[in-house]
Amino acid sequence: MTLSTTATAEHIYATGLRNQWHPVVPSDFVAPGAMRKVTALGEQWLLFRRSDGALSMLADRCPHRGAPLSLGKHLGDRVACWYHGVEVETDGTVSSVPGLPGCNLEGKKLVTSLPVREAAGAILAYFGDEAHPEPAELTLPDPLTDPEVEPILCYAEWNVPWRYAMENLLDPMHGAFLHHESHTMYDGDTTAKFRIRETHRGYFFEKTDQRGVNFDWVELCRTGIDWVDLTIPYPPSAGPGGAFGIVGAACPVDAERTGVFFWRYRRVQGWQRDTWRFLYKTLIEKRHWEVLEQDRVMLEAMPADADQGENLYQHDLGVVRLRRLYRAQAESQSAAADG
Amino acid sequence: MTTAPWPYLDTHQSRTHEPTPYEHKLAATLEEVFTKDGHELADVIRGLNSRQVHAPDGAPWTEESFRAEMHRLGA
Ligand code: FES
Ligand SMILES: [Fe+2]
Repeated sequence: MTLSTTATAEHIYATGLRNQWHPVVPSDFVAPGAMRKVTALGEQWLLFRRSDGALSMLADRCPHRGAPLSLGKHLGDRVACWYHGVEVETDGTVSSVPGLPGCNLEGKKLVTSLPVREAAGAILAYFGDEAHPEPAELTLPDPLTDPEVEPILCYAEWNVPWRYAMENLLDPMHGAFLHHESHTMYDGDTTAKFRIRETHRGYFFEKTDQRGVNFDWVELCRTGIDWVDLTIPYPPSAGPGGAFGIVGAACPVDAERTGVFFWRYRRVQGWQRDTWRFLYKTLIEKRHWEVLEQDRVMLEAMPADADQGENLYQHDLGVVRLRRLYRAQAESQSAAADG
Repeated sequence: MTTAPWPYLDTHQSRTHEPTPYEHKLAATLEEVFTKDGHELADVIRGLNSRQVHAPDGAPWTEESFRAEMHRLGA
């Protein structure tokens, strides 16, 4: 079994919280009839898609002697291990042991199979530990399900711990500095006062004295999956529809790597939607990408012990709060094993 | 199965093709129109036509032809 209940709090904090949903990779990374090896929460997994589109996610470990199933053969509705041919169904059941038909492995569910969903172009999976295999209730980010809202996904892989990627999102003040030379975040005061405002699903970290100018607020939402919502004004060149929003989420790959998901969204319909999408594909996506690269360059250059010797100030309350929350959860998830 | 290379860093994820010169010109002109002329559909049609940036068939834009073309290009 993977994601054991005996993992230490340190390990959980480093490789990602369990017993919740995380995005894994974009949906189109796994074509119909294909499979793909992925790492998430420090473990190896196999994404397997039948030709009818149905997706499953299996631990990438053959139940016979542990060879990676990802080296095996896609048999349409099963995967056959390359080493000795053991066949595993999409729910993790061994359907056949060709070398010894009738062997008692047959019919047993020996491979972990994670619950999966797909939303707004991404694969989401529930990573329960041994004590919590049943998926937590999942409420998808509302901008991704609102029919009036048009989201476009941008996915990237960064060599940073997942927490740094999340902390960066709970740190709106970096917009006015790190992204000062960008098409959207050139404006706004470089001094600000922030406050934390609790919500039923997380908290807002927001400026008290400025709204609608730059990256002025962010909401952390914990709805079975952790995501943030924020808004950034567009220049007039982006046409009608006003500001664009970002739904941000992260896949903890392992202790050093993260898959980041940014859905840029806008409340646009009809010709306004079509025009924004056209401009986005042709001109805007590249500019957004350059902003994201500024984040990546900065975060990848942060020393591994960056969060050990800090001198924080008022703007860091959102980060401090996030860390406390994640650390406490990592501890309770590891303590659950002792109890 | 080939192992996916790490990291995936792709500037363009929403495109299905490299924009044609026509698409580039149209997008750049639209940005100029939005900046200088306004955000209403009528502003856009007037702005494109006054800049002699026409529909692919060479005809001046109408609201209908613009909607249809954006629907095609923005799908
Ligand atoms: S290790 Fe997979 S069949 Fe033997
Ligand atoms: Fe940023």
